[in-house]
Amino acid sequence: MVGWEGTIVLNKATAARLDDRIERSALGDQFAFEEIVRQHQGMVFSMACHFLRDRSLAEELSQEVFLNLHQNLHSIKSPEHLTFWLRKVTSHRCIDQARRQKVRPQVSLEEVPEPAVDATENDLFLSEMLRRVVDTLPEKARMVVILRYQEDLDPAEIANVLDMPLNTVKSHLRRSLAVLRDKLGRTLGEVSL
Amino acid sequence: MSRLDDELRKAFRREQPSADFTQRLLEQVAKQPLPKARWWQRLGTLFEPPKLRWVAIGVTASLLLAIGAAQYQRLSRVVTEDNNQQQAIGSQPPATSPATPADLDNRNAPIRQDSGGVRPATVVRHTVKPATRRHALVAATQKAQELKAEGEAAKEKVLFALSIASSALSDAQKAVHDDGLNP
Repeated sequence: MVGWEGTIVLNKATAARLDDRIERSALGDQFAFEEIVRQHQGMVFSMACHFLRDRSLAEELSQEVFLNLHQNLHSIKSPEHLTFWLRKVTSHRCIDQARRQKVRPQVSLEEVPEPAVDATENDLFLSEMLRRVVDTLPEKARMVVILRYQEDLDPAEIANVLDMPLNTVKSHLRRSLAVLRDKLGRTLGEVSL
Repeated sequence: MSRLDDELRKAFRREQPSADFTQRLLEQVAKQPLPKARWWQRLGTLFEPPKLRWVAIGVTASLLLAIGAAQYQRLSRVVTEDNNQQQAIGSQPPATSPATPADLDNRNAPIRQDSGGVRPATVVRHTVKPATRRHALVAATQKAQELKAEGEAAKEKVLFALSIASSALSDAQKAVHDDGLNP
Protein backbone atom coordinates (compact mmCIF):
# COMPACT_ATOMS: atom_id res chain seq x y z
CA MET A 1 0.00 0.00 0.00
CA VAL A 2 1.37 3.37 -0.93
CA GLY A 3 1.13 5.96 1.83
CA TRP A 4 0.49 9.65 1.38
CA GLU A 5 4.24 10.18 1.59
CA GLY A 6 4.57 8.67 -1.87
CA THR A 7 1.79 10.49 -3.64
CA ILE A 8 3.69 13.43 -5.08
CA VAL A 9 7.27 14.50 -5.12
CA LEU A 10 7.96 18.16 -4.52
CA ASN A 11 11.34 19.79 -4.80
CA LYS A 12 12.81 20.75 -1.44
CA ALA A 13 12.35 24.50 -1.80
CA THR A 14 8.67 24.20 -2.77
CA ALA A 15 8.04 21.70 -0.01
CA ALA A 16 9.71 23.95 2.56
CA ARG A 17 7.65 26.97 1.41
CA LEU A 18 4.43 24.98 1.53
CA ASP A 19 5.39 23.49 4.88
CA ASP A 20 5.86 26.99 6.20
CA ARG A 21 2.45 28.02 4.86
CA ILE A 22 0.76 25.06 6.51
CA GLU A 23 2.42 25.88 9.81
CA ARG A 24 1.47 29.56 9.57
CA SER A 25 -2.10 28.72 8.53
CA ALA A 26 -2.47 26.38 11.49
CA LEU A 27 -1.39 29.28 13.70
CA GLY A 28 -4.13 31.45 12.24
CA ASP A 29 -2.32 33.24 9.40
CA GLN A 30 -5.09 33.96 6.85
CA PHE A 31 -2.68 34.96 4.11
CA ALA A 32 -0.87 31.64 4.36
CA PHE A 33 -4.19 29.82 4.22
CA GLU A 34 -5.22 31.87 1.19
CA GLU A 35 -2.03 30.82 -0.59
CA ILE A 36 -2.78 27.18 0.16
CA VAL A 37 -6.32 27.58 -1.18
CA ARG A 38 -5.15 29.29 -4.38
CA GLN A 39 -2.60 26.56 -4.95
CA HIS A 40 -5.05 23.67 -4.53
CA GLN A 41 -8.43 25.07 -5.56
CA GLY A 42 -7.97 23.94 -9.17
CA MET A 43 -7.44 20.36 -8.12
CA VAL A 44 -10.32 20.22 -5.66
CA PHE A 45 -12.77 22.10 -7.87
CA SER A 46 -11.91 20.06 -10.99
CA MET A 47 -12.37 16.76 -9.19
CA ALA A 48 -15.78 17.91 -7.94
CA CYS A 49 -16.76 19.48 -11.24
CA HIS A 50 -15.79 16.47 -13.37
CA PHE A 51 -17.52 14.15 -10.97
CA LEU A 52 -20.74 16.10 -10.33
CA ARG A 53 -20.92 17.81 -13.74
CA ASP A 54 -22.32 20.91 -12.06
CA ARG A 55 -20.09 23.95 -11.54
CA SER A 56 -22.08 25.62 -8.77
CA LEU A 57 -22.47 22.39 -6.84
CA ALA A 58 -18.76 21.69 -7.36
CA GLU A 59 -17.87 25.14 -5.99
CA GLU A 60 -20.07 24.59 -2.98
CA LEU A 61 -18.49 21.23 -2.28
CA SER A 62 -14.98 22.66 -2.77
CA GLN A 63 -15.73 25.39 -0.25
CA GLU A 64 -16.82 22.76 2.25
CA VAL A 65 -13.63 20.81 1.65
CA PHE A 66 -11.45 23.88 2.30
CA LEU A 67 -13.46 24.83 5.38
CA ASN A 68 -12.91 21.30 6.63
CA LEU A 69 -9.22 21.71 5.88
CA HIS A 70 -9.14 24.93 7.90
CA GLN A 71 -10.57 23.04 10.86
CA ASN A 72 -8.00 20.27 10.50
CA LEU A 73 -4.87 22.21 9.63
CA HIS A 74 -3.11 21.10 12.80
CA SER A 75 -3.33 17.48 11.64
CA ILE A 76 -1.60 18.17 8.31
CA LYS A 77 1.98 17.00 8.53
CA SER A 78 3.51 17.98 5.18
CA PRO A 79 2.69 19.34 1.71
CA GLU A 80 2.38 15.76 0.40
CA HIS A 81 -0.01 14.96 3.21
CA LEU A 82 -2.01 18.09 2.40
CA THR A 83 -2.50 17.04 -1.24
CA PHE A 84 -3.35 13.50 -0.22
CA TRP A 85 -5.82 14.79 2.40
CA LEU A 86 -7.55 17.12 -0.09
CA ARG A 87 -7.88 14.38 -2.71
CA LYS A 88 -9.22 11.92 -0.20
CA VAL A 89 -11.75 14.28 1.37
CA THR A 90 -12.90 15.59 -2.01
CA SER A 91 -13.32 12.09 -3.44
CA HIS A 92 -15.33 10.85 -0.50
CA ARG A 93 -17.49 13.96 -0.37
CA CYS A 94 -18.21 13.75 -4.08
CA ILE A 95 -19.23 10.11 -3.82
CA ASP A 96 -21.40 10.84 -0.76
CA GLN A 97 -22.98 13.82 -2.49
CA ALA A 98 -23.82 11.81 -5.59
CA ARG A 99 -25.33 9.00 -3.52
CA ARG A 100 -27.24 11.29 -1.16
CA GLN A 101 -28.78 13.72 -3.58
CA LYS A 102 -28.78 11.61 -6.70
CA VAL A 103 -27.59 14.68 -8.53
CA ARG A 104 -26.22 12.61 -11.34
CA PRO A 105 -28.81 12.20 -14.03
CA GLN A 106 -29.51 8.52 -14.36
CA VAL A 107 -28.52 8.22 -17.99
CA SER A 108 -27.74 4.78 -19.32
CA LEU A 109 -25.00 4.21 -21.86
CA GLU A 110 -27.58 3.69 -24.54
CA GLU A 111 -29.12 7.08 -23.82
CA VAL A 112 -25.95 9.05 -24.38
CA PRO A 113 -26.72 11.13 -27.45
CA GLU A 114 -25.03 10.26 -30.70
CA PRO A 115 -22.58 12.82 -32.05
CA ALA A 116 -23.86 15.22 -34.62
CA VAL A 117 -20.51 16.32 -35.97
CA ASP A 118 -17.31 14.61 -37.01
CA ALA A 119 -15.36 14.03 -33.80
CA THR A 120 -11.97 13.90 -35.46
CA GLU A 121 -12.40 17.53 -36.44
CA ASN A 122 -13.49 18.64 -33.05
CA ASP A 123 -11.45 17.77 -29.98
CA LEU A 124 -13.79 19.68 -27.74
CA PHE A 125 -16.63 17.55 -28.89
CA LEU A 126 -14.68 14.35 -28.25
CA SER A 127 -13.74 15.55 -24.76
CA GLU A 128 -17.36 16.32 -24.00
CA MET A 129 -18.36 12.93 -25.35
CA LEU A 130 -15.82 11.21 -23.10
CA ARG A 131 -17.02 13.14 -20.05
CA ARG A 132 -20.60 12.16 -20.77
CA VAL A 133 -19.73 8.50 -21.09
CA VAL A 134 -17.66 8.61 -17.90
CA ASP A 135 -20.67 10.25 -16.26
CA THR A 136 -22.65 7.06 -16.83
CA LEU A 137 -20.21 4.97 -14.80
CA PRO A 138 -20.91 4.00 -11.17
CA GLU A 139 -19.64 6.53 -8.56
CA LYS A 140 -16.45 4.76 -7.51
CA ALA A 141 -15.47 3.80 -11.04
CA ARG A 142 -16.03 7.40 -12.10
CA MET A 143 -13.81 8.71 -9.33
CA VAL A 144 -11.13 6.16 -10.25
CA VAL A 145 -11.14 7.47 -13.85
CA ILE A 146 -10.99 11.10 -12.65
CA LEU A 147 -8.09 10.42 -10.29
CA ARG A 148 -6.29 8.46 -13.00
CA TYR A 149 -6.66 11.00 -15.80
CA GLN A 150 -7.08 14.34 -14.04
CA GLU A 151 -4.60 13.78 -11.21
CA ASP A 152 -2.41 11.30 -13.10
CA LEU A 153 -2.28 8.93 -10.11
CA ASP A 154 -1.23 5.33 -10.50
CA PRO A 155 -3.60 2.56 -9.36
CA ALA A 156 -1.80 2.09 -6.01
CA GLU A 157 -2.19 5.79 -5.18
CA ILE A 158 -5.85 5.73 -6.22
CA ALA A 159 -6.41 2.70 -3.98
CA ASN A 160 -4.89 4.62 -1.10
CA VAL A 161 -6.99 7.73 -1.68
CA LEU A 162 -10.24 5.81 -2.05
CA ASP A 163 -9.51 3.19 0.65
CA MET A 164 -10.01 0.49 -1.91
CA PRO A 165 -8.09 -2.72 -2.71
CA LEU A 166 -5.58 -2.28 -5.52
CA ASN A 167 -7.16 -5.04 -7.61
CA THR A 168 -10.56 -3.35 -7.37
CA VAL A 169 -9.04 -0.14 -8.71
CA LYS A 170 -7.39 -2.00 -11.58
CA SER A 171 -10.61 -3.80 -12.35
CA HIS A 172 -12.59 -0.50 -12.30
CA LEU A 173 -10.08 1.05 -14.68
CA ARG A 174 -10.10 -1.92 -17.02
CA ARG A 175 -13.89 -2.07 -17.15
CA SER A 176 -14.28 1.69 -17.53
CA LEU A 177 -11.83 1.82 -20.43
CA ALA A 178 -13.59 -1.13 -22.05
CA VAL A 179 -16.91 0.69 -21.76
CA LEU A 180 -15.39 3.88 -23.16
CA ARG A 181 -13.80 2.07 -26.09
CA ASP A 182 -17.00 0.20 -26.81
CA LYS A 183 -19.24 3.25 -26.64
CA LEU A 184 -16.95 5.57 -28.51
CA GLY A 185 -16.02 2.88 -31.01
CA ARG A 186 -19.66 2.37 -31.84
CA THR A 187 -20.37 6.07 -31.95
CA LEU A 188 -17.24 7.25 -33.66
CA GLY A 189 -16.55 4.19 -35.76
CA GLU A 190 -13.83 5.75 -37.79
CA VAL A 191 -11.77 6.96 -34.79
CA SER A 192 -9.23 4.41 -33.61
CA LEU A 193 -9.04 4.63 -29.83
CA MET B 1 -0.06 5.16 -24.12
CA SER B 2 -3.18 4.88 -26.29
CA ARG B 3 -5.06 7.72 -27.92
CA LEU B 4 -7.90 7.08 -25.52
CA ASP B 5 -5.57 7.86 -22.59
CA ASP B 6 -4.54 11.13 -24.25
CA GLU B 7 -8.13 12.08 -24.97
CA LEU B 8 -9.15 11.28 -21.40
CA ARG B 9 -6.33 13.46 -20.06
CA LYS B 10 -7.53 16.30 -22.27
CA ALA B 11 -11.14 15.77 -21.25
CA PHE B 12 -10.28 15.76 -17.55
CA ARG B 13 -7.90 18.69 -17.49
CA ARG B 14 -7.95 20.80 -14.36
CA GLU B 15 -10.26 23.79 -14.35
CA GLN B 16 -10.37 26.83 -12.10
CA PRO B 17 -13.41 27.88 -10.04
CA SER B 18 -14.97 31.33 -10.38
CA ALA B 19 -12.81 34.36 -9.59
CA ASP B 20 -14.49 35.13 -6.27
CA PHE B 21 -14.14 31.56 -5.00
CA THR B 22 -11.21 32.30 -2.67
CA GLN B 23 -12.74 35.53 -1.42
CA ARG B 24 -16.02 33.82 -0.53
CA LEU B 25 -14.16 31.02 1.17
CA LEU B 26 -12.03 33.39 3.24
CA GLU B 27 -15.14 35.24 4.36
CA GLN B 28 -16.58 31.98 5.61
CA VAL B 29 -13.29 31.08 7.27
CA ALA B 30 -13.21 34.43 9.05
CA LYS B 31 -16.59 33.63 10.60
CA GLN B 32 -15.43 30.43 12.23
CA PRO B 33 -12.83 30.34 15.02
CA LEU B 34 -9.54 28.60 14.49
CA PRO B 35 -9.78 25.23 16.14
CA LYS B 36 -7.17 24.33 18.71
CA ALA B 37 -5.37 21.03 18.55
CA ARG B 38 -6.53 18.51 21.12
CA TRP B 39 -4.04 17.41 23.77
CA TRP B 40 -3.58 13.98 22.17
CA GLN B 41 -2.89 15.65 18.82
CA ARG B 42 -0.25 17.83 20.46
CA LEU B 43 1.14 14.72 22.15
CA GLY B 44 1.14 12.96 18.81
CA THR B 45 3.41 15.62 17.32
CA LEU B 46 6.09 14.63 19.84
CA PHE B 47 6.32 11.26 18.14
CA GLU B 48 7.01 12.67 14.69
CA PRO B 49 10.48 11.90 13.35
CA PRO B 50 12.46 15.10 14.12
CA LYS B 51 11.21 15.43 17.68
CA LEU B 52 11.12 11.73 18.45
CA ARG B 53 14.91 11.56 18.91
CA TRP B 54 14.92 14.34 21.49
CA VAL B 55 11.94 12.89 23.30
CA ALA B 56 13.76 9.54 23.48
CA ILE B 57 16.86 11.24 24.89
CA GLY B 58 14.78 13.13 27.44
CA VAL B 59 12.94 10.01 28.55
CA THR B 60 16.20 8.05 28.83
CA ALA B 61 17.79 10.82 30.87
CA SER B 62 14.76 11.00 33.17
CA LEU B 63 14.82 7.24 33.63
CA LEU B 64 18.53 7.37 34.47
CA LEU B 65 17.85 10.11 37.00
CA ALA B 66 15.03 8.17 38.61
CA ILE B 67 17.06 4.95 38.79
CA GLY B 68 20.07 6.86 40.13
CA ALA B 69 18.00 8.54 42.82
CA ALA B 70 16.44 5.25 43.90
CA GLN B 71 19.83 3.55 44.03
CA TYR B 72 21.31 6.42 46.01
CA GLN B 73 18.49 6.25 48.55
CA ARG B 74 18.89 2.50 48.95
CA LEU B 75 22.64 2.77 49.51
CA SER B 76 22.24 5.65 51.97
CA ARG B 77 19.79 3.56 53.97
CA VAL B 78 22.20 0.60 54.04
CA VAL B 79 25.08 2.80 55.20
CA THR B 80 22.91 4.38 57.92
CA GLU B 81 21.77 0.98 59.15
CA ASP B 82 25.37 -0.24 59.27
CA ASN B 83 26.44 2.81 61.26
CA ASN B 84 23.61 2.27 63.72
CA GLN B 85 24.55 -1.38 64.07
CA GLN B 86 28.15 -0.44 64.70
CA GLN B 87 27.14 2.08 67.39
CA ALA B 88 24.85 -0.50 68.97
CA ILE B 89 27.65 -3.04 69.15
CA GLY B 90 29.98 -0.48 70.74
CA SER B 91 27.52 0.57 73.45
CA GLN B 92 26.15 -2.93 74.25
CA PRO B 93 26.65 -3.96 77.98
CA PRO B 94 28.77 -7.06 78.61
CA ALA B 95 26.93 -10.34 78.45
CA THR B 96 26.11 -12.08 81.75
CA SER B 97 26.63 -15.75 82.38
CA PRO B 98 23.95 -18.09 83.73
CA ALA B 99 24.01 -18.89 87.44
CA THR B 100 26.64 -21.43 88.42
CA PRO B 101 25.97 -24.37 90.80
CA ALA B 102 27.76 -22.40 93.51
CA ASP B 103 25.29 -19.60 93.09
CA LEU B 104 22.41 -22.04 93.29
CA ASP B 105 23.88 -23.49 96.48
CA ASN B 106 24.18 -20.05 97.93
CA ARG B 107 20.58 -19.30 97.01
CA ASN B 108 19.40 -22.46 98.81
CA ALA B 109 21.50 -21.82 101.91
CA PRO B 110 19.56 -21.20 105.14
CA ILE B 111 19.25 -17.66 106.35
CA ARG B 112 21.60 -17.12 109.17
CA GLN B 113 20.29 -15.28 112.24
CA ASP B 114 23.55 -13.40 112.74
CA SER B 115 23.24 -11.85 109.36
CA GLY B 116 20.03 -10.11 110.41
CA GLY B 117 17.72 -12.43 108.41
CA VAL B 118 19.29 -11.43 105.12
CA ARG B 119 20.29 -14.05 102.54
CA PRO B 120 23.93 -13.63 101.42
CA ALA B 121 24.34 -11.69 98.16
CA THR B 122 24.57 -13.67 94.95
CA VAL B 123 27.93 -13.41 93.26
CA VAL B 124 27.52 -12.86 89.52
CA ARG B 125 30.35 -14.23 87.45
CA HIS B 126 31.21 -13.12 83.86
CA THR B 127 32.13 -16.10 81.71
CA VAL B 128 32.67 -14.18 78.29
CA LYS B 129 36.38 -13.78 77.91
CA PRO B 130 37.53 -10.19 77.22
CA ALA B 131 39.71 -11.39 74.30
CA THR B 132 36.73 -12.95 72.47
CA ARG B 133 34.66 -9.82 72.96
CA ARG B 134 37.42 -7.62 71.62
CA HIS B 135 37.82 -9.91 68.64
CA ALA B 136 34.06 -9.70 67.84
CA LEU B 137 34.15 -5.92 68.17
CA VAL B 138 37.13 -5.63 65.83
CA ALA B 139 35.44 -7.91 63.26
CA ALA B 140 32.21 -5.91 63.42
CA THR B 141 34.09 -2.64 63.07
CA GLN B 142 36.02 -3.98 60.09
CA LYS B 143 32.83 -5.18 58.43
CA ALA B 144 31.17 -1.81 59.05
CA GLN B 145 34.16 0.00 57.60
CA GLU B 146 34.12 -2.23 54.52
CA LEU B 147 30.41 -1.61 54.05
CA LYS B 148 30.91 2.10 54.50
CA ALA B 149 33.70 2.15 51.92
CA GLU B 150 31.55 0.15 49.51
CA GLY B 151 28.68 2.52 50.12
CA GLU B 152 30.88 5.53 49.49
CA ALA B 153 32.13 4.03 46.21
CA ALA B 154 28.58 3.28 45.08
CA LYS B 155 27.50 6.77 46.08
CA GLU B 156 30.25 8.26 43.94
CA LYS B 157 29.18 6.11 41.00
CA VAL B 158 25.56 7.15 41.38
CA LEU B 159 26.52 10.81 41.63
CA PHE B 160 28.58 10.44 38.46
CA ALA B 161 25.63 8.78 36.66
CA LEU B 162 23.34 11.53 37.90
CA SER B 163 25.64 14.21 36.56
CA ILE B 164 25.73 12.48 33.12
CA ALA B 165 21.94 12.09 33.10
CA SER B 166 21.46 15.67 34.16
CA SER B 167 23.68 17.01 31.39
CA ALA B 168 21.93 14.76 28.81
CA LEU B 169 18.56 16.01 30.00
CA SER B 170 19.61 19.64 29.78
CA ASP B 171 20.98 19.02 26.24
CA ALA B 172 17.69 17.37 25.26
CA GLN B 173 15.65 20.23 26.69
CA LYS B 174 17.78 22.74 24.86
CA ALA B 175 17.45 20.79 21.60
CA VAL B 176 13.66 20.47 21.96
CA HIS B 177 13.49 24.19 22.73
CA ASP B 178 15.61 25.02 19.64
CA ASP B 179 13.52 22.59 17.60
CA GLY B 180 10.39 24.42 18.70
CA LEU B 181 11.88 27.77 17.72
CA ASN B 182 13.22 26.56 14.35
CA PRO B 183 10.95 23.73 13.20
